[in-house]
This record gives sequence, structure tokens and C-alpha cells, in this order.
Amino acid sequence: MRLMSSPWFAACSLGLAALAAATAAAATRPHYGGTLHVEIRQSFETPDPPTTGYGMPDLARAFVITRWEAGRRAVYAADENAPGGRAFLDAVEIEMARPLRDQSIDLELGKTDVAELGLGELRRQPAGRKVWPSAPVRLVALVFSPRVEDARIREALALAVDRAAIHNVLLQRQGEVSAALLPQWLSGYAFLFPVAADAAKARTLVAGIPAGVRAISLGVEDAAARPIAERIALNARDAGLAVSVVPRAAGADARLVEVRIGSMDPALALASTAASLGLPEPPRADSPEALYAVERALLEGFRVIPLFHLPDVYGVNPRVKGRPGITPLGEWRFENLWVEGGPP
Amino acid sequence: MTFRTRLLLIFTVAVVASVALVEWLVTDSTRQAFERMETQRVNGLVAQFRKEFAQRGQEIVRAVNGIAASEAAVNIAISADYSPYYNEAASLAAAHGLGLLELVAGDGTIVSSAQWPARFGYQEEWLREPADWESRGAFLRREELPDGVTVSLVAVGTARAGDRKLYVAGGQQLGREFLSTLVLPAGMRVLLYRNLEKEFAPTELLGGQLEDLPNVQPLIEQVQKQKREVSRTLGEGTKAETFHALPLKGYQEDLLGVLLIASSRRDLVEIESVLRRTGMGVAAAGILLGIALSWWATARVTRPVQRLAESAARVAAGDWGATVESSSADEIGQLARAFNRMTHELVAQRERLVQAERVAAWRELARRLAHELKNPLFPLQITVENMQRARERHPEQFDEVFREGAATLLAELANLKQIVARFSDFARMPAPEMQPVSFNELVSDTLKLFEPQLAQARVRANAELDPRLCPVQADPEQMTRVLRNLILNAIDAMPEGGTLTVRTMALEGGVRLEVSDTGQGLTPEECGRLFTPYYTTKTHGTGLGLAIVQSVVSDHHGRISVESAPGKGATFRIELA
Repeated sequence: MRLMSSPWFAACSLGLAALAAATAAAATRPHYGGTLHVEIRQSFETPDPPTTGYGMPDLARAFVITRWEAGRRAVYAADENAPGGRAFLDAVEIEMARPLRDQSIDLELGKTDVAELGLGELRRQPAGRKVWPSAPVRLVALVFSPRVEDARIREALALAVDRAAIHNVLLQRQGEVSAALLPQWLSGYAFLFPVAADAAKARTLVAGIPAGVRAISLGVEDAAARPIAERIALNARDAGLAVSVVPRAAGADARLVEVRIGSMDPALALASTAASLGLPEPPRADSPEALYAVERALLEGFRVIPLFHLPDVYGVNPRVKGRPGITPLGEWRFENLWVEGGPP
Repeated sequence: MTFRTRLLLIFTVAVVASVALVEWLVTDSTRQAFERMETQRVNGLVAQFRKEFAQRGQEIVRAVNGIAASEAAVNIAISADYSPYYNEAASLAAAHGLGLLELVAGDGTIVSSAQWPARFGYQEEWLREPADWESRGAFLRREELPDGVTVSLVAVGTARAGDRKLYVAGGQQLGREFLSTLVLPAGMRVLLYRNLEKEFAPTELLGGQLEDLPNVQPLIEQVQKQKREVSRTLGEGTKAETFHALPLKGYQEDLLGVLLIASSRRDLVEIESVLRRTGMGVAAAGILLGIALSWWATARVTRPVQRLAESAARVAAGDWGATVESSSADEIGQLARAFNRMTHELVAQRERLVQAERVAAWRELARRLAHELKNPLFPLQITVENMQRARERHPEQFDEVFREGAATLLAELANLKQIVARFSDFARMPAPEMQPVSFNELVSDTLKLFEPQLAQARVRANAELDPRLCPVQADPEQMTRVLRNLILNAIDAMPEGGTLTVRTMALEGGVRLEVSDTGQGLTPEECGRLFTPYYTTKTHGTGLGLAIVQSVVSDHHGRISVESAPGKGATFRIELA
């Protein structure tokens, strides 16, 4: 009892309390740095790292390439002399050519910090999964080859597609239904393009088409998009068109394609999108009304049928800290991230 | 055809007919017995297949009910948003071994479809029909798939969560894969015709090897028409199969397919073939044995008859003393004994006849001798009496009377001597000395000798000689005598003159000689007695001429006959062979 009431004991107690407080403060303070492990489906087979496009080229703002294994792996280190200052991360290690399902599993097992989430993987993510969604920047559209000359077929297919069902079920309500080339958030007038299916009208159109030319092939090279193509084929069947889904886009009567919105400037975005879809170069429009008229003109004839605008979605390991690592356009901004807890 | 051959033929026909009938009866009854066994076997196999089919239905029901009772189904049923489950049916179907599975909300909206994932959101109206799906079990249904229409065996389960429910409709396609999983006994195959088209479509016929499939279209069409089970045997030989065509009806009693259960008849056909071969072998052996026994039996039966026939032939040949051995007491033995009695009687009668004929001949001879001798004797008696009367009453005339009487006596004695010589010639007929004789020359020479006599009798001679005639073995002297007698007979038959025709004709190895006249002819009675010795129709003559002719011809083993009718002349025909 005397020992516990002695000054020495009081001093020791104060010392221990101070040590415990210091330890608790060190545990809650951010530990900047670390290596961010990223897996992507894309594979760059080039001798050098890509410098244009989105994703990996965006790292050049704050990182320098230190290791490049074409098609397999890339390691970027923080650029000490970056214009915006040194990144929090020490390095970014990217593994290429990883299937979406494998990425999801690796994310679940903590083997990666950032993984792309496809439509199938989105449904399987546990509740509370941290994700980085971009704005809807990927246009999914049907593009007809010049062989399909009868505009009634193209229009019938455009009317037959039940976008809402695909959006609700297959896309799990990711992105937005659209019949416009530019997304609503970028143009502001996308809602003016009707998206509702009209099977009755489609059937009426098809009825006027000779039976011999009602069959078309729909090429889908991305296996993840095949369910969408199958559903389109089913909708087309209801309208009286025989659409067969084929795995190769080359030679098909129509293709299911995905085009990325490349600019925050609507006019530029429309021009680049039209170019990607093989549409004629639109004239320069200075006002939203003019841009709407231009886009409407581009879509007349139903050579291209816009279906959806989808976002980029990344699943993120909880140990990745900082602001979302992508911009609304899906650009990588990893310089303000850091990783806690050591390597995954 | 001999009696034995005929009898053997009859026996053989009877044996063949009997054996064939027995063989057919045995084969047919055996075949029918095997047919019944085959039918029972096939019925058993069909029942086994039905059981297998029903078992597959029960497995489907169990799987569907298992899914309906699972927590996953309940979670889907209570979920306000079905979209996360649109791919759930595929994994559940794979986990429960179902080829088809649809999860359908209570309002009939497809939540997820394993067989057609893109059909989410579509309606399955048939599930909303008031029906007790749980108690219905597995049933057949027409199923639409991305690549076409098929027939499926499905069951429906219901997952309930409060007032919400989820239909679980799952099953298997009735296709090649389903058929291949069925356990079939050896020699059986199953084919499925999916009744998806209005007309018969060969592409809808699924199963194993279709290349060697017989034409089953009529069978299927019959089931389509009658909607009941039909059985028929198709194909031939060892490739024949008994097809049981079972109608496959859906839950609305619509005909969705025809299940063809084919059972090979190879074993039955081979057994029948063995039976047929064995039967034919046994029948052939039986026929051969029957023929052999028939041969023995006919020989045994016909031997006495043959002996009888031989004896009869001997009797016909002149051996009237022929007899037959008779040891049996049956009809053949009685016949043999009767034959023996008959031959004994014939011999006795012949001896009596010969004796009677001999007596008759002696009497005829005596009568003829008396007649022939009486004629010369009467002049002799008169002459002697004249000579005696002349001696007693007219001695002066005795010498002249004696001279005349002596001459008369000498003439009559010469006549008597001639009569005796003729009888002596007939009695001393020598045996013929055979040598080749040209009958044409013989006829010509003889007619030449008779020319003066024929001319005196105003008879015209006509010779019709066959130039093909070759020399024939005969006694030329006796044959000349025969011809002379016939010519003299013809001249006597034509006292008013006429035509004498002598013909020769070549026979095979012999000759036919005919002598015809144009005289008064003969009655049938005269023709019958014409060759009897001492019979004559003439006022003069001994009646030995034609008897001598017949005797010579008989000694030459020939035949003589006469054709005549009153007023139409007569023709004597001699044939030597």
C-alpha cells in the first residue's frame, strides 16, 4: 500500500500514461507512401509504356516508369520532381492482362489494391465494398455495317431494343440508358433522344421487309458484353428480326461496340466519338442547340444506335487511403493516394 | 410305269406331304411360341423403359423441389429487386443437374433462365394457370430455346415467402443427350420424334444410329393421328425390329412427341432360322427314310405281284404250266393260289381241248378220207360190177368192157394214189431252211410261172413291189409254195376272171406280202375257219392248201391274216419279221 502511494510510483504512472498516449497517436497518424498494386484487363504489348489514352498513361504526371515487361507488368516509382509535388505513394505496380473475374478474386483476397469491376463482378461484390466510379464515359452502341442498306431494319432494331431491362438487370443499373452519343452529364440534352422500346412499331417496320433479308448477324468480341447482345437478339426476335450473335465483329452485319468519351468539351467529345464510330465528321457547333442538331443529324439513318453510357468502376482495397483515384472521365489520379499496412 | 414305281411314287408323295405338314406345324407352333416369348420380353423391356422414364421424371421433381425449398429460392422470392438474380438459374441448374431451369416470379415474370438467360423479364403465362404443379409431377412441355423449339420433361416447384412466391420450373430437354443417359437393355434402342412441325420432319427424329433406320414415318403418322400406342415390326431379316411408338403428351394433352422403343428381332430371327434349318434337315432325313422304307415296302408288296405278272407272261408265252409260290395268307397269296389253280385248269382244259381237237381232226380226216376215197371207189365198184355183168351176160363184149373197165380202174386208182400223196405231203411238212430271200424276185418268178394259167382263167396279174425291200431270212422253197397256194386260191376265187394283185412292203427287219383278188369274197364265219385243215369252200380240193400256208408261216414265226367281205374280194396278208 505504501509503495502505491509513494512519489516514485506516481512518477512511473505518469510516464507509462505518456508512453501509452504517444503510442496511440502513432497508430492513428497516416503513413504516406507504400506501393499501390493495380490489376487491369488491358494488355499493352508495346516495347515502351503507352503515353496516350487513359489509365496507365495518366501516371506520367507524377510517376516514372522503372520496370516494363510488355503485356505483363509495369512498375512506376514516384517522381521526386513532379510538377505538382511528389506523390504520396512510393510506387505503383501494375499487372496487365488480368481477367475481370481474377481481378475480383484478387481484390477479395487482398492481393491487389485496385481492380476493375465488370458487370458480373459488380453483382458479386460484398456490401460496403469501396468503389471508384467515374461518370458514364463509355458509350455502348450498335453500329451497322454498310451492307445493311435497308434503313427499316436498322430502325426496327433500334425500336426493338428494351434498354431499360438491360440496364436494370444486366448492367445492374450502372450508368444510364441513352439514345444519344454524348452522355446527359456532358451534353445536357441526351434525354431528348427517345429510349423507350416500341416493339409494335418495330414489328410493323419488319413486316414490310422481305423475309429473306430479316436475318442479320451481330458481332460481339467482348465476352462480357455477350449477354447484352443476346438480349438484343431476343428483342429483335420479338420484332420479327432474326439476329444471330457471333463472336467476331469482322464481317458481321452489326457490331456491339464500346467507345470512350475522350473530352470534357461536348463538341470535341462528339467529334471524337463520331470518328470512333465511323460516322461523318460533325460540323463545329457553338451552342447546345446546334450540337443537339448535329448529333441528331448524325444519328439519322440509324447507322449507329446508342444504347448506354457506362462508368468505369474500380474496386478498391480498404487500405487504400485518400481521395478517389479517378476523375469523372476515368483518368487515374494516384498521386494523392497512400497505402496503409504494408504490401498486400 | 411299273406298278412298283407307281406305288413308290405314291408312297413318296404321301411321305413328303406328311413330313412337310408335320414340319410346318412344328415350325409354326415353335415360331409362335418364340413370338410370344419375344412379345413378353419386349413388353418387359418397354415397361422397364417406362419405369426408367418415370424415374427420370421423379429425379427432376426432386431436383426442382430441392431448388424451390432452398434458401436461395426463398431469398429471391422475398427480394424486392430480382435483377441481381438474373443469372442465378444457371448456377442452380448446374448444381442440381438440370438442363433447363427458370425462376419465375409470382406474376409470371422470368427472373432468371438457365436455358435462355436473355429472357429475363419476359412472361411465362402458363405458370400462372390455376394448376397444382406440385402434385402434377414431371410432365412434357414444348420449350422455346434460342436455337429453336424442343420438347422437355419438366416439373414445377414453388418457393413461398409470405404472400410472395417464386416458381421454379426445371427439367431436361428430350433430346439426344437425354436419350443417351437412359439405361437400355441390349438389343434395344430409343428414338424420339419431336412433334414440333405440322408435317412429318425427319430432322425431328432423334436417336442413335439413324442410317440403318427403317421407314418409321407411317408409324409416327399413325400415332399422330390416333394418339395412342402403336406397335409394328419394321425391317426384314436380322435387321427387323419391333417398334413400340408411345405418344408423349403434354400437360394439356397435346401430342408433343412420339417415343420409339425399338427392340431388335435379331435373336428371334436367328432362332427361327436355326429352327427352320433344323426342321428342314429333319424333314429331309425323314423324307429320305420314308422313301427308303417305301422302297422296301413296295418291294415287299410288289414282289408277289411281280411274280404273278411274270407267271402270267409265261402263260401268255405258251408256258401254261407256270405257277407262283404262295406262302402268305393275304389277298396276294389268295391271288397266287387262284392263279395256280387257273393255270392248272388251263393246262387241263388245253389237254382236253387238244384231245377233243385231235378227235375232231381225226373225225374230219376220216370224213374227208371217206369222202375222198368214196368218190374213186364208186366208179371202181361200178366198173367191176359192169365187168362181172359183161362176163356173165355178154361174154362177147367182155373184152371190150374189160378194156374200158381196166382203163377206168387204173384212172381211179391213180386218183386214189394222188389223194394219198397229198395227205402224205401235209403230214410230212419239213422244217424251214432259212436263208436270205428276195421276196420281190420270188413274186416275179412265181407270177411268171402262172402266166398261162392266169391267162386261161382270164385273170390279170398285178405286182406292186417295194423297191426298198431287202432280203429276208426265209425258206425260199416253202415260201414259193405259200405263194403258189395263195395264187391258186385266188384264181379259184375268180371263176369269171378278175385281177390278182401281189404286193410287197418293207417292214423293219421284215416283209409284208399281200395277195388280193377281186372274187366273191368270204363271210366272217368263212374267214374264221379258213385255215382249218380240210376246210374248203370249193367243190374240189382237200382243204389243206391254206392250212399248209398257215403252217409254213407259223414255222417262220410270222403271221397270216385275211381281210374280206362278201362281194369285195379277199386279201391275204403275211408278215415276216
